[in-house]
Amino acid sequence: MEIPYTVKPRPDTGLYNGKLGIWLFLASEVMLFGALFSSYVLLRVGAEPGTWSMGLMNITVGAGNTMVLIASSMFVVLAWAELKQGNLSGPWLKPRNWGYTNWKWLTIACAVLFLAVKWSYEWPQKFKHYDIWLNDAAVLHDSFKKGYHETASHSSDKGTKGVSVKEYVEGFYTTRYFKEPSDGSDGSKAKFKDAWDSGTLALSGHINGYEEAMIDVQVGQWDANSKPGVTRDEAKAAVIAAGGDAKQALDGVGLVFPKLDYDKAKRMEYLLKQAGFKVNLSVADYEKVEAHPWFWRTPRVNEDIGGQPRVRSIVLGLDHSHIQDEAGNEVHQEIEIETRHISRLSAYEPKHSTFFGIYYTITGLHAAHVFGGIIVMLYNMLPIGLAMWHKDRERFTNRIETFGLFWHFVDLVWIFLFPILYIL
Amino acid sequence: MSDKAEEIGTQETVEVQHDEHEEHHAHSFWRTYIFSTDHKIIGMQYGFCGLAFLFFGFCLIATMRWSMAYDGQAIPFVGPLLEALLGNNVAPGGVMSAELYNVFGAMHGTIMVFMGIVPAAFAAFGNYVVPLQIGAVDMAFPRVNMASFWAFFFGCVIMMVSFFIPGGAAQAGWTSYSPLATVIPTDGQTYWLIGMVMLITSSLLGAVNFLATIINMRAPGMTWLRLPFFVWAQFITAFLLLLAFPPLEAAGILQLMDRVLETSFFLPTGLVVGGQDVDVSGGGSPLLWQHLFWFLAHPEVYVLILPGMGIVAEIIANNTRKPIWGYKFLVGSVVVLGFLAFIVWAHHMYMTGMGTVISAFFQTTTLLISIPSVIILTCLLVSLWGGSIRFNTPMLFALAFLPMFGIGGLTGLPLGFNFSDVALHDSYYVIAHFHYVVAPGTIFAIFAGVYYWFPKMTGRKMSEYWGKVHFWSSLIFMNLIFLPMFAQGMAGMSRRMSDGGATYALANPDNADVTVGAFSDTIMGMNVSISAAAWAMLIAQLPFIINLFWSVKHGEKVESDNPWQATTLEWETPTPPPHGNFIKEVKVYRDPYEYSVPGAKKDFSPQSQPAK
Repeated sequence: MEIPYTVKPRPDTGLYNGKLGIWLFLASEVMLFGALFSSYVLLRVGAEPGTWSMGLMNITVGAGNTMVLIASSMFVVLAWAELKQGNLSGPWLKPRNWGYTNWKWLTIACAVLFLAVKWSYEWPQKFKHYDIWLNDAAVLHDSFKKGYHETASHSSDKGTKGVSVKEYVEGFYTTRYFKEPSDGSDGSKAKFKDAWDSGTLALSGHINGYEEAMIDVQVGQWDANSKPGVTRDEAKAAVIAAGGDAKQALDGVGLVFPKLDYDKAKRMEYLLKQAGFKVNLSVADYEKVEAHPWFWRTPRVNEDIGGQPRVRSIVLGLDHSHIQDEAGNEVHQEIEIETRHISRLSAYEPKHSTFFGIYYTITGLHAAHVFGGIIVMLYNMLPIGLAMWHKDRERFTNRIETFGLFWHFVDLVWIFLFPILYIL
Repeated sequence: MSDKAEEIGTQETVEVQHDEHEEHHAHSFWRTYIFSTDHKIIGMQYGFCGLAFLFFGFCLIATMRWSMAYDGQAIPFVGPLLEALLGNNVAPGGVMSAELYNVFGAMHGTIMVFMGIVPAAFAAFGNYVVPLQIGAVDMAFPRVNMASFWAFFFGCVIMMVSFFIPGGAAQAGWTSYSPLATVIPTDGQTYWLIGMVMLITSSLLGAVNFLATIINMRAPGMTWLRLPFFVWAQFITAFLLLLAFPPLEAAGILQLMDRVLETSFFLPTGLVVGGQDVDVSGGGSPLLWQHLFWFLAHPEVYVLILPGMGIVAEIIANNTRKPIWGYKFLVGSVVVLGFLAFIVWAHHMYMTGMGTVISAFFQTTTLLISIPSVIILTCLLVSLWGGSIRFNTPMLFALAFLPMFGIGGLTGLPLGFNFSDVALHDSYYVIAHFHYVVAPGTIFAIFAGVYYWFPKMTGRKMSEYWGKVHFWSSLIFMNLIFLPMFAQGMAGMSRRMSDGGATYALANPDNADVTVGAFSDTIMGMNVSISAAAWAMLIAQLPFIINLFWSVKHGEKVESDNPWQATTLEWETPTPPPHGNFIKEVKVYRDPYEYSVPGAKKDFSPQSQPAK
C-alpha cells in the first residue's frame, strides 16, 4: 500500500499531503492563539483603572529575544535551502562543508537561548518581586513619604529633582498603571488622584527581610477515645518514633515545645493531633530573617497563630527609590510594613493580576511550542531522523520545509506577543 | 514464448501473494487490532468506544431519572452498587445525593457529546467510510490517525478515573460555567479540564487528517461535485472542529490556570464564596468563559448533526433507488451552514445581560442559519417522492430521522428569538429541543449507519427482525421521553434539579394549576412517566447490542460485495476491505447517486462504472 502525494504535490491542489496538513494545523493554531489574544483584549478593556499591571517588562531583553527568534527563522530557511541543493553536511559528516546540519544547529541554539532567557532570567526574576496593597490610606501615604522623600528631593534624575513625594510617585505610577491609550493625560491624573486618595496603590519592591513567628507548641489533654486500643504511652511513642524530638515534653500535660520555627511547629502539631493529643499553638517571639523570599502570598503572611500573624512585619526595598549606603553604593530605600496593614500581597506570578495571568499563559504556551520545535529539530538531526534523507531525499527536504512553516508561525506569534505584553 | 511469459507471470503472482502473506504474519495482534494505523480498524475502535460511551452516558441519566421521579428513595439494584463503588457519603443507603446528581448530570453531557457522538458519528464513520467513498487507500496521515485515537482514549480514561477520586467528577454541568466551576473545591473539574484538553487534541488531529484526506486523496475523476453527500458533511464537520475547538482549548487552559495557579481570568472582582472573600486578584470576566465555550459549543451542535445528515442522505438515496433531490442545494447549504455556524454562538447567552444590540445580531444570524438546515431537510424529504422505497432497518431509522430532527429544529425557533428565550431559558423545553436534535436525530442516524455499513465491515447482515424491534421500540420510547418535556419546560420547570422540581411543587399545598411557581400534578407526574420511558428505552437497546455482537459471527452472509446495490465506491472493495482497500485502481466516471438511470441494465450505476 502506497499513500499518494506524500512527496510530489497533487497536480490539481498543488500541495503534497504534509504541506496541506501543516497549513491546516496552523489554521487551528491561529484560532488557539487568536482566542487568547481576544481574551487579552477583553480582559484589558474590562480592567478597572489602575489594575492592568503593565509597564514592568524589560523591553531590551524582550527585543533581544525577538531578534533571536527572527534569526532562527532565517536559519531554518537556510537549512532547507541547503537540503534543496543536496547539501546535508555537518561537523561529523563528509564532506565537511557548511550545510543543513550547521544551520539547523544554529536554529536550535537560538531556540535554546530564547528559552534560557525566559526560564532562567525573565520569569524567576519576577517570582521574588512583590506588590503590597495596604488597608489604610494613611499608612500608605506614610510609607510613600518614608520611602521616596530622599529620592524625590535629592534625585539627580532630570525633572524629578525637588518634586513632592506625590508628584514623584505619580510619575512612575501613571506610566505603569494608568497608561490607557484612549485616555488623555488629564484622565490619567484624575485616576491617579482617586487611587492616591483611596489608598489602592500598591507598594512595589523586593522583600529584603521580615519578622517571622517562633512558635510554642503546647500539648493538651490526650483523648483516650481517639484511637481504640491505644494507650497514652503508645501514642507518645508513636509521636517520638515519627520524629517528635522531645521525650520529656510529652510526659505531662501543658508542657511546651518552645520556640519552634513554623515548619517544625506545624509538623509537631500534625503528629500530636494524629496521636490524639490536643494541641495549642502560640507565638512566643518574632525572629528577624534576612532573605528574599519567592512566591509569598497573603495567607502565608497573615496566617493566624494563636491570635498573632505568622509574619509581623516586612522590610521592603522600594522600587524607584535611590539612596546611597555607607559604602557609597546606590541601593533601594527600605521601609518596614506591619502585616496588620497589609490587605494583599503577591509576587509577580500568575495570581498577581489578570495581566500577569495572561502574560504567563500566552508566553508559556508559546514557550511550549518552542520547546516542541526543539524536540522535532533534534529528531531531524539524529540518525533516526536522518535515515529518511538517505532513503528519500525529497521527502526529508519536504519535512524540513513543513517544520519551517511551523517555526515561522511560532516566530510570528511572538512578534504579536512582544508588543502587547511588553510595550503597548 | 507466450507460455513461458504466462508461467513467469504466474510465478510472480504466487510470489506476490507469498509476500503479502508474510507481511500479514509480520503484524502481531497488537499492531493489527490495537495499535493499528489502518483507517478501518481505527474507525471501528472509535465506533466501539463511541457506542459504549453512549450506552454508559445513557445509564447515568437513567439513574438520575430515578432521583427525579422518586427523590430521596433508594435506587433499586443500582443504589447499593453506587454506595459500594463511590462511598456512602455519595450515595447513602443507595439514595442519590444532590452532589452525585450534579456529577452524573455534568458527565452525562460531557460523555454523550465529546466521548459518544463525536467519536461515533464523526470519527468512526468518517474514518471507516470516507477514505472508501473517495477511493483512497487510507487516510493521508495514518500515524496521526492512530495518535488521534489514543489521545481520545487517554482523555476518556482521565474522565472515567475522575468518577472515583474524592468528591467525584466535575459537577458544574457540561458547560462548566465559571465562577461556579472554578470555586468548587473538589478536584473533578481539574480532571475534566485535563481530559477535555486531550479530547480536543484528538479532535484537532482527526480534523487535520480528514481535511487533508478529502482534499488530496480523492481518486482520479472524483471531483468535488461527485463526492457523496456524506463526504461533504464530514468535510464541513472537520472544518468546524478544526477552527472551533481551539478557542475551547484556550478557555480550558485559562480555567485550568484559574483552578491550579489561582489566577482570575473568569473570576470577577470582589467575589465572595460561602461568606468568605476569595483570595484572588479579581478583574476577570465570567462572560469571557461563556463566549469562548459557546464559540466551540454552538458549532459543536453542527458537528453532532452534520455526519448524521450525511448518513441519512446515503441511505435514503440507496433505498429510494433514485438520486438525491437537489444534490447541489445540499452541498451549497452545508457549506453555508458551516460558515454561519461560527456567528450564532451568543444565542446561548441572551440571559447574561450582554445587551440588546448583540442579542439582536445573534438572533438574526440564528434565524438565518435555519434556512440552510431547512433546505437540507427539504431535499431529503422530497427525495422520497416517487421512489420505490425499501423499508429495511437502516431506512426506517433514516426515515424517522426526518420528522424527529424536524421537531428538534422547529422547536429551536422560540429559543432563537431572544424575547421568547427569556421565558424558556434553562428549562426542560431546552432539554427537549436539543435532545430531539441529537437523540432521535443523530443517534438514530448512527444506528442507521451501523445497520447500513455493518455488511461491509463484517460480510454479514444484522438481523432485520430484531432491527425492526429495536427501531419501533426506540421510536416510541424516545417520543415518550422527550415530548412531555416540552410541556414541563413551558410550565416553567428548570433543568438541573435533583428532585425533579418537587421543591417548587411543595410551594403549593393544593397543587392548583393556576398557582405561580408551583407545578400541577400532571406536570410532576410526567417525571414518573418520563423516567419509566427512559428505563424502557434502556431495555429497548438490548436487542441492538445483542444483534450487533451476535451478527458478527452468526448473521446472514452477504452474497456480494455490494449487498444494498449501492453506487458509491465503498461497495467496490472486497468484503471486509483489506489493508489498502481497493484491489485495482479506482477511477470515477459518474455522480454519486446514479440510481435508476434510464436505459441502464440495472437500477444502479456505480461511480466507477464508465459512462457509455
